Amino acid sequence: MLETPPDPATRPAGLAPGVPALLGLRGIAKYFPGVIANEDVSLDVYAGEIHALLGENGAGKSTLMNVVTGLYQPDAGELILDGYGVQFAGPDAAIAAGIGMVHQHFKLVSRFTVAENLHLGWGETPRRLSPRALEARADALSAQFGLPIRSNATVETLSAGEQQRVEILRVLSRGARLLILDEPTAVLSPVEVAELFRALRRFRDEGGAVIIISHKLDEIMSLSDRISVLRHGRLVGTHRTAETTIPDLVTEMIGRPATLDESYPRSVPRDMAAATPMVLHGVSARDDRDVIRLHPLDLELRAGEVLGVAGVTGNGQPELGELLTGLRAPSGGMITLNGRDVTGASARVFSHNGVGHVPEDRLRHALAPSLSVADNAVLREYDRPPVGGGGRFSATQAADFARTLAERARVMLPGVHVAIRALSGGNQQRLVLEREIRIASAVLVASYPSRGLDIGAIAAMRAMLAQARDRGVAVVLMSEDLDEIFALSDRIAVLCAGRLMAVIDRSEADRDRIGALMSGRTEGSVAA
Amino acid sequence: MSVHMTRLSIVPARRVAIGRALGLLVAVMIVGITLAAMGRPPLELLTLILRSTVGSRFGIEDLALFMTPLMLTGAAVWVGVRVGLWNIGAEGQFYAGAVAASAIGLFGTMPAIVEIPLMAVGGILAGMVWIALPAAARAWLGVSEIVTTLLLNFVASLIVFYLATGPWADHVTGALASTERLRVGLPEVWGAVHIGFFLSLLAVIALAAFLSRSRFGYESAVVGANPEAARYAGMAVSRNVLIVLLLSGGLAGLAGMIEVSGTVHRLQGGLANNYGYLGIVVAILARRSCLALIPAALLMGFILDTGIVLQTAQISASAVLAITGLVMMAIAVGDELSAYARPAIQPKTSGQTS
Repeated sequence: MLETPPDPATRPAGLAPGVPALLGLRGIAKYFPGVIANEDVSLDVYAGEIHALLGENGAGKSTLMNVVTGLYQPDAGELILDGYGVQFAGPDAAIAAGIGMVHQHFKLVSRFTVAENLHLGWGETPRRLSPRALEARADALSAQFGLPIRSNATVETLSAGEQQRVEILRVLSRGARLLILDEPTAVLSPVEVAELFRALRRFRDEGGAVIIISHKLDEIMSLSDRISVLRHGRLVGTHRTAETTIPDLVTEMIGRPATLDESYPRSVPRDMAAATPMVLHGVSARDDRDVIRLHPLDLELRAGEVLGVAGVTGNGQPELGELLTGLRAPSGGMITLNGRDVTGASARVFSHNGVGHVPEDRLRHALAPSLSVADNAVLREYDRPPVGGGGRFSATQAADFARTLAERARVMLPGVHVAIRALSGGNQQRLVLEREIRIASAVLVASYPSRGLDIGAIAAMRAMLAQARDRGVAVVLMSEDLDEIFALSDRIAVLCAGRLMAVIDRSEADRDRIGALMSGRTEGSVAA
Repeated sequence: MSVHMTRLSIVPARRVAIGRALGLLVAVMIVGITLAAMGRPPLELLTLILRSTVGSRFGIEDLALFMTPLMLTGAAVWVGVRVGLWNIGAEGQFYAGAVAASAIGLFGTMPAIVEIPLMAVGGILAGMVWIALPAAARAWLGVSEIVTTLLLNFVASLIVFYLATGPWADHVTGALASTERLRVGLPEVWGAVHIGFFLSLLAVIALAAFLSRSRFGYESAVVGANPEAARYAGMAVSRNVLIVLLLSGGLAGLAGMIEVSGTVHRLQGGLANNYGYLGIVVAILARRSCLALIPAALLMGFILDTGIVLQTAQISASAVLAITGLVMMAIAVGDELSAYARPAIQPKTSGQTS
């Protein structure tokens, strides 16, 4: 078998010669129909290092981790644990060997307490145990690994960061020596990110190994000891973090240099007295259980302006997005669209009056994955000519429509009749964005549009939003990435715990001020 | 390195056709071997089956009469399955349609030209009424339609037995569990093949055209594929679910009307002859294509016909069920295997190892 062994020059700095890797991958390959998910991947992970794994969407990071954790069997190559070849028949075998994974989407039972979740499906859980004893054991584990938790709280009451700590603790308590984290910071506030990194460094310093997958290069540079980059399923390089730079990593990831612009200059000057296509007066939202999710807020969307909405995920952004697009009726207050009262009107009324919406989870909310590209392309305009009108629907017109849409979005289609789930995430997002921009004559709401996209796709997406702004559309951009908010926004709204903390002009905003507002400190206490 | 077979995400129709043909062949061979093991001459029986189905005028007529209700109950199940709804109650809606048509056919006093269309409308409406409660519960309360539609089958079947042995019982000939002959019947066109066959054929073709060319067809497809996306696009999800299920019930009701007024001419206990349940088989065989319901119904009709021929050869009537199951399984396996192919991209390392 021909394979490229890891370059000895990239061994961790200061490692004694002859120390074997905790986990070695040699020539790992995994094939799916028509796709090379991984091929000839050889890398070593040593005890006492944090190893970052980078790559574009579809570069094969997740597949590789699924091989390492026993979910997939490699089609070629071998895994070497402590110097011995191993085969993991399933995730159980990997866990028993000390390899644990924390997934991007937590796998906890939301109605159970933290202590119960920690002990679920664990061989060492005593057969008969009182809740109090269970909590005592959980507290002991928490102290042992330095991860503070509230052992008697039910999981659904925890913040994302706390849930993640429970996940990590669950993996560590099963004796993990290698901890794998997939996009762990996506749902965390800056404070929680710092806490997570502290815990990971402590784990490393005590001799554990960490593999972390992330798109956030700044974080990777500050946290990791070494970085491996995957492209098109192959390993293109392993580096000591101290010896590489972000531009070099980006070039390696996408095969060419790329940067994200820090600003998007307008083609027409900003009109400070622009019209306000949508206005919210004292609008509030409650969820299905009648719990208040969004406290009464006033907000004006101005034509030709980008309003950035900053905030830690889950602080009212989904609700605000749904209110702005008619998917949710406000529990109080009034919404006007182009001067008309549309409070409680349907999503159809909003879209017909020029409100486009790029929701945060496009596959779940904006696309029917099993239907064709053509069917998905016309989702917003199927009820009017040329595709429809008067109860008709023309499949040929829909196909033409889809071709035009794809051309405008610069998406190469394998055909308009293939299921849209066969397209890459970046291409799906481009099509959705183009489709929504078409109908967004007044307002375009984009919720986390860059989530899950690689740098090239993000750059294209941002340029499209800037163009919409220049055409006079009121753009609302929700993002967890403050750089993105700062690059595009004219005004920045900050949400925390369902409250609109402030709306600040871009020229008066800085990271510290926004960060303080995101964590719930009001303007008064910031000034103090 | 071993030769890798990988699963295609999009399977070309030709592969499916070949896979299914091979599956059918295997099923036929298994039936033949079983018959041989029972001491029956399989080739002789095969000749008999072919002669009494496709090989003779009467056989073809019989086949057409079996196909007629199967096309409609198949369509009834299919419109639901297309959007992820399982109407297991076509049997009950079939009975409801037959009861409504019989009521008009037994007690009506109008000329046939008025009464037959009336019976058709009555049959369709009765099928819709029979599914209305499960449909509404599914649309607005999210109650599983599978259980509710299934349970109503037994109610419908018992009502028919009650009518056929009680208030509507035949007092002229004293037949068991049967009403008198309906005063009007569907006109026969070709031997025993009545206009209902062509009506059913037309219904399937019209349904295919309607669903692919109408706004409703598009909306219901989106609702079925992803209700969240449908809501996002401003579609009325509950209303679409309701209409799809009513359409399903109406088709099954029409099947009942055609069966009672064209083929059987009497409302009898057991009239539905499992056509409602076999509609599920037909719908599954047709997969994603509405027009494929026609060959699927033909195949199912052929199996039913085969069962009768085998019965005349002293082979148990339950052979039909066994053969149906075998064919379903063979076709499912054929479908699945046709999805496997050599990978388009060959691992580069193959051939370099020993």
